[in-house]
Amino acid sequence: MKQFLKLAVKPEWHEIEEARNKTTKFLKSLGLATDSVHALTMVMSELIENSVKYGNFPLPADNVEVDIHQDENIITVEVINPVNPVDESAYNHLKKLDKTIQWIRGYQDPFEAYVEKLKEVSRRPLNDEESGLGLVRIAYEGKAILDFFVGEGGSLNVSAVSNFQGDNYGKD
Amino acid sequence: MYLPFQIFREIIMGKIELYEDNLLQIELIENKNSINMVWTGKSIHRKPSEFITPILAETIKKSTATKKRIILDFRRLAYMNSSTITPVIKILERAKRGTIQITLLYNKSLKWQDLSFSALEIFQTKDGRVDIKGVDNHVS
Repeated sequence: MKQFLKLAVKPEWHEIEEARNKTTKFLKSLGLATDSVHALTMVMSELIENSVKYGNFPLPADNVEVDIHQDENIITVEVINPVNPVDESAYNHLKKLDKTIQWIRGYQDPFEAYVEKLKEVSRRPLNDEESGLGLVRIAYEGKAILDFFVGEGGSLNVSAVSNFQGDNYGKD
Repeated sequence: MYLPFQIFREIIMGKIELYEDNLLQIELIENKNSINMVWTGKSIHRKPSEFITPILAETIKKSTATKKRIILDFRRLAYMNSSTITPVIKILERAKRGTIQITLLYNKSLKWQDLSFSALEIFQTKDGRVDIKGVDNHVS
């Protein structure tokens, strides 16, 4: 049976912790191993942080939508936020998102991509606060395949699909 | 004679400073041979560098002056966002190129810590001056 969690989260930083707690509770209810619960909560967390940082929320009712669903050994985490592709900063973010996901896919093992990113980020100035590690961490620690699309209604949908079959990262 | 717990700990463990930000606590314990930086809780700030970098910078200054090894102890950390990794790896990279001594301790029994921190072995030096160490035990 497919099980899912849907959340509407206000695009404010302090709301993320509650979403994280609800996600952890839901994943535990699926009977997943503690390590998998932690990894998937991290995936949701990194995606929602990006949404809050880079999404466009012009209306008070605009939220970040989180949709987590399980289909056998596959867990999909989707995070959706309004986006305005004609806005220059939003357009640049989409270009960067596309480039990063393609770059990660270029590596057979996401660990190699993660290490490359660590080296690159570590050489930046101390006062440069941009991390740029979130997506590659999702691919490496979350064992997830990342994808995204922009919907007709102007929403950015970023998904991370993790397969826990055949490894010890599954149930306890 | 009665000693308050804090004074008792300082006598036993050395000078202690406590820093808190949201759900994250960093305890700095300076003793005879090392400066221990113990991370507890969750690091979930939007810009964790604003809180972490000044503490790290001050610790490096002390370490340079006293030649004491810095111990970055993450074993009690429950969660960190990717923005938290940034200031840590910048310090490790600079330490690798410099002269200060750093040991990073993590809990190998926790899968997420093992994945996150074992990747930082790229910053280790052959002489052990910068050391990334996974400890296979549980911290209460």
